[in-house]
Amino acid sequence: MKQFVFKRTLSGIPTLFGMTLIGFLIIGLTPGDPIEMELRRLGVSFTAEQVEALRVEYGLDKPLIQRYFIWLLDLFRLDLGTSIASGRPVLELFKEHLPITATLSVLAFVSSLALSLVLGTVTAVSQRTSVSTSLYVLTMFLVSVPSFWLALFLLAVFALGLGWFNLLQFGNAQDLILPVITLTLGNAAVMSRLVRERIIAVMSEDYIRLAITKGLSRRAILGRHVFKSILPPLITNWAISFGSLLGGSVIIENIFNLPGLGQLALQAIAERDFAILQAYLLFMGLVFFLANFAADLTNHWLMPQLKEDDHGVR
Amino acid sequence: MAYVDSAKSIPLSRATSLFRGKTTFLLGSLFLSCFIILAIGGEAFAPNPPNQIDLLHRLSAPSLTYPLGTDHLGRCILSRLMTGTALSLGTALTTAGLILAIALPVGLLSALCKGWVDAVLMRIADIFLAFPMLVFALAIIGYLGASLTSAVIGVALAWWPGLARLVRTLTLEAASKEYVLASRQCGQKPLNIIAKHILPQILPPLLVVLSLEMAGLLLVLSSLSFLGLGAQPPAAEWGAMLNEARPFFAERPSVVLAPGIVIILAVLSFNLVGEGIRFQLDKRKPYRW
Repeated sequence: MKQFVFKRTLSGIPTLFGMTLIGFLIIGLTPGDPIEMELRRLGVSFTAEQVEALRVEYGLDKPLIQRYFIWLLDLFRLDLGTSIASGRPVLELFKEHLPITATLSVLAFVSSLALSLVLGTVTAVSQRTSVSTSLYVLTMFLVSVPSFWLALFLLAVFALGLGWFNLLQFGNAQDLILPVITLTLGNAAVMSRLVRERIIAVMSEDYIRLAITKGLSRRAILGRHVFKSILPPLITNWAISFGSLLGGSVIIENIFNLPGLGQLALQAIAERDFAILQAYLLFMGLVFFLANFAADLTNHWLMPQLKEDDHGVR
Repeated sequence: MAYVDSAKSIPLSRATSLFRGKTTFLLGSLFLSCFIILAIGGEAFAPNPPNQIDLLHRLSAPSLTYPLGTDHLGRCILSRLMTGTALSLGTALTTAGLILAIALPVGLLSALCKGWVDAVLMRIADIFLAFPMLVFALAIIGYLGASLTSAVIGVALAWWPGLARLVRTLTLEAASKEYVLASRQCGQKPLNIIAKHILPQILPPLLVVLSLEMAGLLLVLSSLSFLGLGAQPPAAEWGAMLNEARPFFAERPSVVLAPGIVIILAVLSFNLVGEGIRFQLDKRKPYRW
C-alpha cells in the first residue's frame, strides 16, 4: 500500500506541474499588455516610461520562464495574486465563495451516488417490468435534458407555480434544495447508466449463472458477486462525476444566483479578471486531481491485485 | 392507469421491447432527419421572419400568426427555433470536426511513433484531462473573450484528449494487422500506409463514437450559450434564446422553456440513435429477475 501511494504520488507530480504551466500560460500569454490595459481601464494618462517602470515593478520585464517560477513560488505560499476588478486578494475572495460550491457539489454528489445505484440496479436487474422500463425511459430523458433547463423547469413548477420557494431570494440553507435536486437528477441519470451497464456485464458471466443454479439468494448474488466486481470501475467513474459536478455547479449557481466559485469565475470572465480565472482553473483542477487520486487509492485498497496501467486513472 | 403498477402489464412491457433496439434507432433517426431538414431549410419553413420585431405583441400567447407565441421583442419563437437549427447543430458539428482534427493526428502519431513521442503526447493529454471539462472550457473562453468561436475552441480543447486516446488504441490495433506489417516490409511510405490501410480501419468506429458524442457537445455548447459565453444575441441559437429570455421568466415561463424543449429533442435524438446502435451491437444475455 505504502509503495502504491508513493508510486502514484510520484506519477502525479508531472501532471500537477503541467497543470500549473497551463494555468500560468492563461495569464502569461494574455493578449495585450496587462499594465497598459489596466491603466487604460482606470482612465489614467501615462507615458511609455511610466509603463516601463510599472512593468519592472511587477516583474513583467523578465522572460516568461523566469516569471513562471516566481509565480510558482508565490503559489506555494498561497499567494494567488490580486483581483484587478475588485482590488482584493484572490485568496480572500475564494474563501468567501468556496462554501456554497463545496456544499452544493458534495451534497449533490452523495445524493446522486445513492440514487444512481438504485436506478442502475433496478433497470439492470429486474425483468422488463413497467417500473424498470419507466425508470429506464426516465434516465434516458434525464441525460438528454440540459441542467439549466431542468433548473428553470423546477423553478417554474415549485417557485412560480406552487410558491414553495422564493424566485429571487437565495441565501439560507433551505434555498440549496432546488439547486441540489437539479444537480442530482442530471448527474444520477448519467451515473446510473454506467451502473446498469456494469451490472449487465457481470450478470452475463457464467459464474453468476452458476450462483443462480446453486440457489443463492438474490441479495447474496448482488452483494457477494455483482457489487464486489463492479465497484472498482464505479469508483473511478465517481471521481469523474465529481469533476463534472464541479463544472456543472457553474450553471446552477448562475441560475439560482448563488454566490459560489462558479459565479466568481463567470464574473471574472466578464471583467477579464485573469487572476481569479487562473486560480479557479487551478483550484478545480487540484480538487479533481485529488478526487482521482483518492479513487485510485480506494481501488487499490479494495483490490490490491488490480493492475493499474499508466493511463488507468480514467 | 391502474395497470402501470402491475408488473405484467402488457402495454408498457410491449413498449419496452419496442423501445430498445431498432425502434429506438429508427425513432432517433426520424427526429434527427427532421432536425437536418430544418437545418437546411429552416428559414423557408418558418411562418415569420426570425428577426422581425413586433413590439405590440411582445410575450404573447400562442396564436395562429405566432404558433409558439412571441419573445420579449415580439419575435416569433417558432420561427427563431426553426432558423436556429442550422446554427445550433452546425456549431456542434464544427466542434466535433475540430476535436477530430486535433485527436486524429495526435492519436496516430502517438500510436505509430511509439517511444518518447507517445509518452510526451499522452502526458499532455493527461494534463488536459486533469481539469474538469467545463472548468477548462470556461478558462479558455475567459482567455479568448466570450464568443461563439471561443466556445467552440474551448470545448474542443477540453474534449480532444479522450478521443485522442481512442484513436491511439484503435491505431495500435489496426497497425498490428498482418497486411499492414506486410505492406511496411514491402517498403510502402508511412503516409501511404496510414491513408490506405490504417484510416479505413479506424475511421468508421471513430465516426460512430463522434456522432454519439454529439449529444454531449450539444449540451455543453447550449449551456455555454445560455451562460452568455457562446452565441451572442440576436443570433437565433437555442441556448442563446434561452439566455435572452431569462429576465422574462417570471412573466412568461414558456418563453424560456420552449427553446429548451427543442434542445432536449435534439440531444435525445442523438442519444436514441446511439442507444439503438449499442443495443444492436450488444450480444450479451444477462440474467434478469
